[in-house]
Amino acid sequence: MSRTVTIEPVTRIEGHARITLQLGESGEVEDAKFHLTQFRGFEKFCEGRPYREMPALTARTCGICPVSHLLASNKACDHLLSVSIPPTGEKLRRIMNLAQLTQSHALSFFHLSSPDLLLGWDADPSVRNIFGVMRQEPALAKDGIRLRQIGQTIIETLGGKKIHPTWVVPGGVSEALTREKRDAMLGLIPEGLEIAKRTYAFFKTLVPRFTDEANHFGSQPTLFLSLVTPRGNLEHYDGFLRIKDAQGRIVEDMVPPIEYERLVGEAVEDFSYMKFPYYKPHGYPGGIYRVGPLARLNNAEACGTPYADVALAEFRMLQETGPITSSFHYHYARLVEIIYALEMMDRLLRDPGILDARVRARARSNRYEGIGVAEAPRGTLMHHYRIDDEGLITWVNLIIATGHNNLAMNQSIRQVADAYVDGNHLQEGMLNRVEAVIRCFDPCLSCASHAFGQMPLSIELRDAAGRIVDTLRRG
Amino acid sequence: MIGYGSPIRGDDAIGPLAADRLERAGVPEGVEVVSRHILTAELVADLVAHDRVVFLDAAVDAAPGEVRCRRIAPDATAISTMAHFLDPRELLAWCETLYGRFPETFLVSAGGASFGYANYSLTPVAEAAIEPMLDRVRRLIDRPAGPRSDPS
Repeated sequence: MSRTVTIEPVTRIEGHARITLQLGESGEVEDAKFHLTQFRGFEKFCEGRPYREMPALTARTCGICPVSHLLASNKACDHLLSVSIPPTGEKLRRIMNLAQLTQSHALSFFHLSSPDLLLGWDADPSVRNIFGVMRQEPALAKDGIRLRQIGQTIIETLGGKKIHPTWVVPGGVSEALTREKRDAMLGLIPEGLEIAKRTYAFFKTLVPRFTDEANHFGSQPTLFLSLVTPRGNLEHYDGFLRIKDAQGRIVEDMVPPIEYERLVGEAVEDFSYMKFPYYKPHGYPGGIYRVGPLARLNNAEACGTPYADVALAEFRMLQETGPITSSFHYHYARLVEIIYALEMMDRLLRDPGILDARVRARARSNRYEGIGVAEAPRGTLMHHYRIDDEGLITWVNLIIATGHNNLAMNQSIRQVADAYVDGNHLQEGMLNRVEAVIRCFDPCLSCASHAFGQMPLSIELRDAAGRIVDTLRRG
Repeated sequence: MIGYGSPIRGDDAIGPLAADRLERAGVPEGVEVVSRHILTAELVADLVAHDRVVFLDAAVDAAPGEVRCRRIAPDATAISTMAHFLDPRELLAWCETLYGRFPETFLVSAGGASFGYANYSLTPVAEAAIEPMLDRVRRLIDRPAGPRSDPS
């Protein structure tokens, strides 16, 4: 008799989801699925709104990465205006994006994933949580809080104290940077960088313990998609799209983001509210790819900042050749990116032109279609709008970073389930590993699924007849 | 003073709107006012640096417009399923676990009547509750210092 295991809710992720494992007659895993269980429909209810409202509206799709939506949306609006924003305006936007990346990656590593990494996959769930980490590694937990505080303070210094900053606007930013604010932000960077470096050094000592997980946590070959600079380096705000395959061959390069539809198709499945983007030339589901920190580091020739480039070189040594394939190493890549973000913010804040008063280009809409693409902490974020003669939105498509990883997340839970789940002797630690591989991607389901309400996650175990025989449910 | 709630879910915004009004009206030296969409982990560092904290929030379990004030304590079991959102009692538990102390903390809440999505304004009954909330907050600001949570 086959069975289905349900894990619900998946914990320590952003949003609500469920995992189901279909087991065969002898207890082996026959299928594994990641289900996004909420529907919101932001694209639809933006229709009819003035395009200038889109940054504020779409920033509210997510409580954890509003800055990413703010930037991608304003870039789509820049495109509608047909303007090139002033260089200082662009640099200030870049700083805000890097501050967002810093605090978001810090949450993922220190608070969501560290219980598994520090306390062990098989630890008692009653202690395998953030409080367990605080008791065992209080200095690390304080570092996580401080790093988030530094990122958030920079965002608030730039954008003002209000909940959703309106400082980023179509055409640039609304207000130039003052010397006082610049100096205040610069004063935070050294401490942040020290925290990032010592966390990275500490994590490197942990990595050898996780060889088995690295071999089974989403290590199958996929493509990697990200933005890169015109020189092929690490990029989070602008640049061009690059796709690399698992052997390291560049299959698409220097593709202007406004041509994303040439690369990315979107499929739907009846078991999830999250779409399934795929690389069009390879078809669905063969065109599986990953985005986010792992993809960005795999695609980049270099970071372009001193310490991050050293860390990138060490990252590449995790595997003998080719791009790093294991999704377990998203954790490593996040720490490299935090270092990069702090180094790059320091560089941008010291730029001689950063206090320039020219920060905004003003125009009315000059085209009917606008596309904005930026790298959110979790990966490439795409906003695509169409407007009418009155500037009212007639159509919206949002491809969210987590959505790009949907096929890969489903493939990864299957791999982990094959490696660790024994349907005849189910143990909590097995199922925690299935959840943990999802945490590697740090999915933000609130915006990927456009989730509605709370987000519990469950794992179901079904028999061959489709009957639920066991359920692990949380939340 | 930390007002928190969603600005696009009707009366859920009463916390941040009350905090904004308090800030505009002015507060004594040494009092900080913060508005937040949600409560996040980095607030722990701010909480532990203050003697007294007042959270302002909307309530779903009170009659619309009813204002309540209660002292709250650390509770490590008050864990939200949303990884990026923390309950005030969980934040206090973080303070206690990590720093061995936590501030004297109160929750001033007002019952809401409508929490629908894409609603940017308060209902009249919630709007009318803001001043009573701020009366309670001002009394808490003026209140003599309470007992410290740490043995020192």
